[in-house]
Amino acid sequence: MKKSFLDFSRINSERLFNKRFDILLIILSILTILLISRLYFLQVISYDHFDTLSETNRIKYIQTPPRRGIIYDRNNVVLADNSSLYSVEINIKEARDIEKIINAIDEQITISKKEIKIFYKKKSKYSHYNSITLKDNLTEEEVAKVLSIRYKYDGLDVVASLLRKYPYKEITHHVLGRVGLIDRKDLLTLDKKTYKNGQYIGKTGIEKFYEKKLYGLPGFKHVEINAKGRQLRDLDVKAATPGEDLHLTIDINLQKYMYSKLDGFTGSSIAMNPKNGEILGMVSVPSINPNNRLWKIDVSKEENKNLKSPLFNRSINGLYSPGSTIKPIVALNGIKNNIINPLEEYYAGPFFQLPTSSRRFRDWKPKGHGLVDLEKSIIQSCDVYFYMLANKLGIEKISSFFKYFSFGSKTGIDMPYESSGVLPSPEWKIKNDGNKWTDGDTVITGIGQGYFSTTPIQLAYATSIIANRGTISIPRLNKSSSKDKLKKILEKEDFLKNNIKREDWEIITEAMFKVVNQKNGTAYWSTANKKNNISGKTGTVQVYALPQETDERKKENIPDHLKDHSLYIGFAPKADPEIVVVTVIENIGSGSKYAAPISNKIINHYLENIRERY
Amino acid sequence: MINFKNIGVTEKLLFFSIIIISVFGLTLLYSATNQDIDIVIRQGVRLSFCFILMMIIGLIDINKIKIIAPYLYLVCIVLLIFTIFWGHDSKGAKRWIIFFGFSLQVSEIIKVVLPIFLAWFLSLSEDKEIDLKKLLFSFAIIFLPIIFIIKQPDLGTSLIVLLCGLISLFLGGVKKKHILYLSGLFLILVPLIWKFLLLPYQIQRIITLIDPSSDPLGSGYHIIQSKIAVGSGGLFGKGFLNGTQSQLEFLPERGTDFIFSVLAEEFGFFGILILFIFYFIIIVRCAHITSKSKTYFSKILSGSITCIFLLLILTNISMTIGVLPVVGVTLPLLSLGGSSLLSIFIAFGIMFSINRRN
Repeated sequence: MKKSFLDFSRINSERLFNKRFDILLIILSILTILLISRLYFLQVISYDHFDTLSETNRIKYIQTPPRRGIIYDRNNVVLADNSSLYSVEINIKEARDIEKIINAIDEQITISKKEIKIFYKKKSKYSHYNSITLKDNLTEEEVAKVLSIRYKYDGLDVVASLLRKYPYKEITHHVLGRVGLIDRKDLLTLDKKTYKNGQYIGKTGIEKFYEKKLYGLPGFKHVEINAKGRQLRDLDVKAATPGEDLHLTIDINLQKYMYSKLDGFTGSSIAMNPKNGEILGMVSVPSINPNNRLWKIDVSKEENKNLKSPLFNRSINGLYSPGSTIKPIVALNGIKNNIINPLEEYYAGPFFQLPTSSRRFRDWKPKGHGLVDLEKSIIQSCDVYFYMLANKLGIEKISSFFKYFSFGSKTGIDMPYESSGVLPSPEWKIKNDGNKWTDGDTVITGIGQGYFSTTPIQLAYATSIIANRGTISIPRLNKSSSKDKLKKILEKEDFLKNNIKREDWEIITEAMFKVVNQKNGTAYWSTANKKNNISGKTGTVQVYALPQETDERKKENIPDHLKDHSLYIGFAPKADPEIVVVTVIENIGSGSKYAAPISNKIINHYLENIRERY
Repeated sequence: MINFKNIGVTEKLLFFSIIIISVFGLTLLYSATNQDIDIVIRQGVRLSFCFILMMIIGLIDINKIKIIAPYLYLVCIVLLIFTIFWGHDSKGAKRWIIFFGFSLQVSEIIKVVLPIFLAWFLSLSEDKEIDLKKLLFSFAIIFLPIIFIIKQPDLGTSLIVLLCGLISLFLGGVKKKHILYLSGLFLILVPLIWKFLLLPYQIQRIITLIDPSSDPLGSGYHIIQSKIAVGSGGLFGKGFLNGTQSQLEFLPERGTDFIFSVLAEEFGFFGILILFIFYFIIIVRCAHITSKSKTYFSKILSGSITCIFLLLILTNISMTIGVLPVVGVTLPLLSLGGSSLLSIFIAFGIMFSINRRN
């Protein structure tokens, strides 16, 4: 002990050391206590908070999209189906060296320079996405090859997605519409629980209208993932509910036939069963093959700029002046309102003139029709007769009567975005044109020109009312949709049946029958087959008013886009009609030359080759 | 019955606490490495080597250690210079040198060698007060290795080494007057260092400490994930090998810097308390040895070792729960890695040696 005192000579120094050692230990102990308190706070007091965070870290919620419902035609022929599409994706958030991964994939399956270029373009455009497709439409062999190297690269994945296939391509495109990737606009209105980015949704046509039915309910999976996002095991699985299948009223054989007749033209044709409103065929040309564009985000603007707009569904959106096809209804209006006696003959010269104006409303027949009664005026499509009739009726009566035939409002067909057309009236003109209605406007409304515009589906609707002698059928594409009519429709039907006598309906249908079956009828030469008792009415709509003195030969020389629209409405058999066909062909010529023969072929084909099979 | 004194162990309670923590560390490492038994075996071998070394040092007379103190320091400086030029490059820093397949991080060893050398230097003229000249010399001794460590670059370790040196100086009896002056100087220098000396990544580390969410996928990720691991451990933990944060690899650097988070997640607050009890025993026994030690040299050295040991524990744990920046300090006796283990066991060897003298 003595020695230690010698070693440690300064007692002060030892005291100082002890003091300082104590100070340090006390400081460090206080820090230790603070640290333990902090740990207590984190682990015991904030446990719930951190437990939730740790669970969200490790558990990923994955939605499994349902199988989309299959669409069939009325005879169970598949019109829209699903197939699996395998694609290689790279998760750009996880991948360490994207170039290396692409090279490795390229060693297994060939990837074109273009595909790589597109990938990088998408990568910069959709940087908010996690995964970007490098190549799709892989064969099973390619899938196996890529899967064999997947474990080596984080972020490389092969994904199976459902691909919508339309076996009848452009033939059914405008009816079925198409599916497409959900875009920002869709996301605003969609239920985020059932849809998410990167899924397909019905964009147009039946696919859109019946989206809810066809889509079904998505399932989900809770999977445990590690920090790299690799899925380790399923914790909780609920299977998706597949979408409902849909049976359409379309007969694919008739649809094919109709498409073959219209292919090459621009226009639309609709075949409908007047008894129940079932659409048997509905074609709009030009059309596109929707299978080629399924995985594109949107349709190119260039295509829409295309004059012929193949994406435009003319059947429900094309707006055409109905022209002379409207004459039977105007005639019916005149009878109903006791404005004319159907049997009384009027002299129809080359033109009609209002007493107050010098303007001449010309007939299509330069010399005029001479003495005509109502029937003859329909058979020969005498314009002057209808100028006179319209003038006598006045616009109020014309407008209000047309409303019963759905002009100016939607027919209610089960398709999205249907147009309502324009039913002209003084109020409408003031509102949209700014000018006051004139008697001249009334006169040309009588032959379906002027401001009057209708869609082909509206014409089919109106024609079916004539064919049914007053009974209304709402056009529809879904075979199992409700046949109950709305109160509003029933009221209209009551009016048409109770205020218009059966004989008067027969006067009109008889006249339309003679349009096709009497030698001087405008559609007499449109079909040699007269067995099916077709009734019809042609229409030739002026797109461009030629100077009044222009002769026929010069008419042939005008440019295509100024040529007349060719229209036809028809139904058969006359006594108990089973089919209504409406055809509109743009910028081609007269109704009797183009639309009538095509429509009558469709009617004959249906009644002779297709109907028997039901 | 083994006579522990003959194998260099002069303090049984200290000895067994070290063994318990070390073995527990290996178990924890098994979990932290996703049950990679190879890594655990390698660490076990390192641990056994360090154990033997500790017992050998425990047999050596403390005065002999005192004699070689300057040489130890010199060797470390040379190795630090060597590290700068021929060090192993990893993640943009040269921190290791490799001898025959063994990698050595000299900046870890200096944590124990610096107090040995400072204790030696201060006890050269122990009957005199620490005057300015002596103080300046001491600072030169402290800053010489720090310069090389900053160069690596490794700011965290530099700061720890600085603290180790300051603790030794403080215990060695620096005058109160000088302490006040130095504190003043420190307050002036810190803003300057922040502005001119720190590298962008070092500033980033400090910023993400204050607000980890400012960079949740970058440097803030480590802190966020570690805090989640600790917090979700709760009172009793998720159970051995059941920590989701560690087993599913959300937690970074699980074996080294963040081994404490693995412990906290799998064994909870109670597990932590038990660890603290064993650390507490070690500190208490070391403090006891310090108070019993007879020479100025042994007192400064053992006191420094005791305080530095506790300081390292606090620093590492603070780091894992986001109280301090991620400065790369390992948790004594638990973290994976040879160099930190080596320096700690050398330190305990010295404690046994000092106790032998008592």
